[in-house]
Amino acid sequence: MGRLGLALAPIAVTAAVLALLPPLWFGDSPYTTSLAAQALVFASYGVGFNLVFGSTNQLFLCVGALAGLAGYTTGILAERTSLSIWLAAAVGTAAAAVVGGLLSWISVRRSLGVIFTGIVTLVFSLAFTNLLLGQRDLTQGETGLVVPQAAADLAEDRVGGYYLFAGLLVAFLLVFRALQLSRAGWAFRALRDDEVAAELSGVDVARYRIYAAAVGSAMIGLTGALYAYSAGFISPATYAFERVDVRVLVLVAFGGLGTLLGPVLGAGVFAFVDERLTESLQLREVLYGLFVIALFLGFRRGIVHTAADLVRRLRARRRPAAVKEQPAAK
Amino acid sequence: MKAVVFDGVVLGLAFGLLGVGMTLVYGLGGVLNLAYGQIVVVGAIAISLLMDDGAPTALAAVVGVLAATALAVLLDLTLMRPVYRQEGEERTLLGLLLTLGAAFVVAGLLNWRYPTGALYINVAGDPVSILGVPMSRGSIWASAIALAVAALLLLFFGATTFGRGVRSVIQDEIGAQLVGINPSSVRTVIFAMSGALAGIVAITHSMSGPLTVTAGFELTVFALIVTVVGGLGSVAGAFLAGVLLGVVNALSVHYIGQYITSVILLGAAALTLLVRPRGLLGR
Amino acid sequence: MLEVVGLAAGYLGEKVVEDIDLEVETGEAVAIVGSNGAGKTTLFRAIAGLLPALEGRVVLDGRDLTRRPAYRRARAGIAYVPAERHLFPAMTVKTNLLLGAYPRRPDRETLELVYELFPRLKERLRQQAGTLSGGEQQMLAVARALVARPRLLLLDEPTTGLAPIVAQAAFEALQDLKRKGVTLLIAEQQVPLALSVADRGYVLENGRIRLQGTPAELERNPEVRRAYLGVA
Repeated sequence: MGRLGLALAPIAVTAAVLALLPPLWFGDSPYTTSLAAQALVFASYGVGFNLVFGSTNQLFLCVGALAGLAGYTTGILAERTSLSIWLAAAVGTAAAAVVGGLLSWISVRRSLGVIFTGIVTLVFSLAFTNLLLGQRDLTQGETGLVVPQAAADLAEDRVGGYYLFAGLLVAFLLVFRALQLSRAGWAFRALRDDEVAAELSGVDVARYRIYAAAVGSAMIGLTGALYAYSAGFISPATYAFERVDVRVLVLVAFGGLGTLLGPVLGAGVFAFVDERLTESLQLREVLYGLFVIALFLGFRRGIVHTAADLVRRLRARRRPAAVKEQPAAK
Repeated sequence: MKAVVFDGVVLGLAFGLLGVGMTLVYGLGGVLNLAYGQIVVVGAIAISLLMDDGAPTALAAVVGVLAATALAVLLDLTLMRPVYRQEGEERTLLGLLLTLGAAFVVAGLLNWRYPTGALYINVAGDPVSILGVPMSRGSIWASAIALAVAALLLLFFGATTFGRGVRSVIQDEIGAQLVGINPSSVRTVIFAMSGALAGIVAITHSMSGPLTVTAGFELTVFALIVTVVGGLGSVAGAFLAGVLLGVVNALSVHYIGQYITSVILLGAAALTLLVRPRGLLGR
Repeated sequence: MLEVVGLAAGYLGEKVVEDIDLEVETGEAVAIVGSNGAGKTTLFRAIAGLLPALEGRVVLDGRDLTRRPAYRRARAGIAYVPAERHLFPAMTVKTNLLLGAYPRRPDRETLELVYELFPRLKERLRQQAGTLSGGEQQMLAVARALVARPRLLLLDEPTTGLAPIVAQAAFEALQDLKRKGVTLLIAEQQVPLALSVADRGYVLENGRIRLQGTPAELERNPEVRRAYLGVA
């Protein structure tokens, strides 16, 4: 039980921090609260993306599109059918999971490398945005869709929305951790390190890839669907590539690809950055660009990996004798 | 319908040049320059600024092309150095990500300084009738320039020593080194050339309609689609794909609609990657 | 003309060849013999500049080329013909040849020389290099290297993939080259063939030079006889 406790500790700490943040930090500012909620949304996207790209090396440049698929499915079903918003969200999430799994299956079947998977998913992303804009009858196009049954209380009292996404994020972290510790997690690590070796040692690389993609896409979809629910209004811009995917990529990479808390830390840092740069949208864009460049030029491992490396190095330095002395093996 | 097809060809020639610029850089070094559309916009803005100041169009055009070339060279000498140090997939991925970052930096700066910037080169004169279809002077100039550039490229790659050297690096980089070719300087020259092509596209594209400061990403996506459909690394393929997709674009927009057209073009790229990855003329 | 001193080279920091000292005089034909895996290709790639030297020096006509990249060594006069040939497959035979003297164009005289040596190539000038047969590709690879009028021609396993008769003919062509004054450094598994054209030979084993001498000396050596000539 002790090891499990250790594994869950970071999540418990995160949950505690998130729970205490509003009363301690936000005061009564609905603006700060909604900013924090935004960060949580992106962190949740990030956990899903982390599962797909960080854990199984599939460059899914369609986070926004998957979220949008779920979000719009939720909105349209809730508006046009008698389904409750929760059921609509469930359908939306399922749709995202299916599409994500399908994309992965295609990429596996056609042996697309990382780059081509990236291009195909980017193409899907852009095509999806165009579909949203084009099918005005269904989606209201550019003007956007009002999501009925949206919790009015959530919209008024921003804190409700905050806690919704905080709960979602913690749930995702638990799922991520559970996968990491399971046989699937072992398979993920194996296939990410050396695909051929993994295949030879019996890991069904294709199956695990698709599995990871489906679960990650479900996470992304659920987040997108719940966003539609809590915001009450969505438009193609909400889920656009420029708005969602670039941010998610940067914050996950910054936090640490493949790590548990990477997306959370990354989202936190970027929430701060965004807050400082509220005046100029263009300058924010410039900063994101510079961040991407700096990140992939130097700081590629991200916060969590770098911190872990540092800890390891400090530990090694504290016990030099134990490390260097080794019995001569002859 | 002939008019639509002709318009498509005019558009397609510009697409083609755009694709050639992108495919050259990929063929030589495995880098997909996601900042390419922004380079076009920089050229366009440079030209429009000069024209606003009263400079004659021809002079402004030359300066614009030079500006785009300069930006390309800057990117190559800074960001591409660490990219070329990597190999294979790592290199392509890093190139993609760094140029994406650069695209955001350039787009952000342009949008911030020239939020309403746009270039529209209005060629005066009555429409001329080509094969029974009245074409605007702008379209004719645009096509003529594009075709002239295409012919020059053909001559360059087919008949000059340096041009053959470039093709050799694309086909077998080690073989090229063995005959005394420096792949690194070839890559820089070609990157610069792609910048010049971007500048030329800024000119021709703005002759049929305004080229706005926000068009960067869209242009990059066009270039990417054309490059993929034509075959990564194939100059002839990119040009052919450009013209074909230009015609498809024109027909589709006219008879179906704007958004579905985008889906069709994107679908063509996806289909190529999935069904025939080497594209139309790639190896 | 070529001096290799204390050369070591390998992959990922691991040395595959070590302590290599060898010399080639102008007009000589020198053979490097050794079995598969002895390190012949690694050695040649290091001399040509495709592989960095971990230790030692490569000196051509008194110029230290050790830190120079491959294309500079090619321009300095080292023409390397690897076993994989690295031709330009989508270009014609003629274009491949034209590129051999980059950045210059080969003059008429040099081209005529090459056509004389390889008449089969002259017949196929307009054919795409990728569609040539194995033997023809080998010829083209050597011809392309010669077009640059190199100081030194490095041939790595020139008989790879060639039928015995063709291999024999290839070595006769090499003798022709030698007579014309081209300096040759040849790596070859088939010892008798190699020694038939060489003035001197080095035996490479496990990445080090084990023996050196004239063909006669090497043929007499009992170890060489046992290991490479199949004689008890």
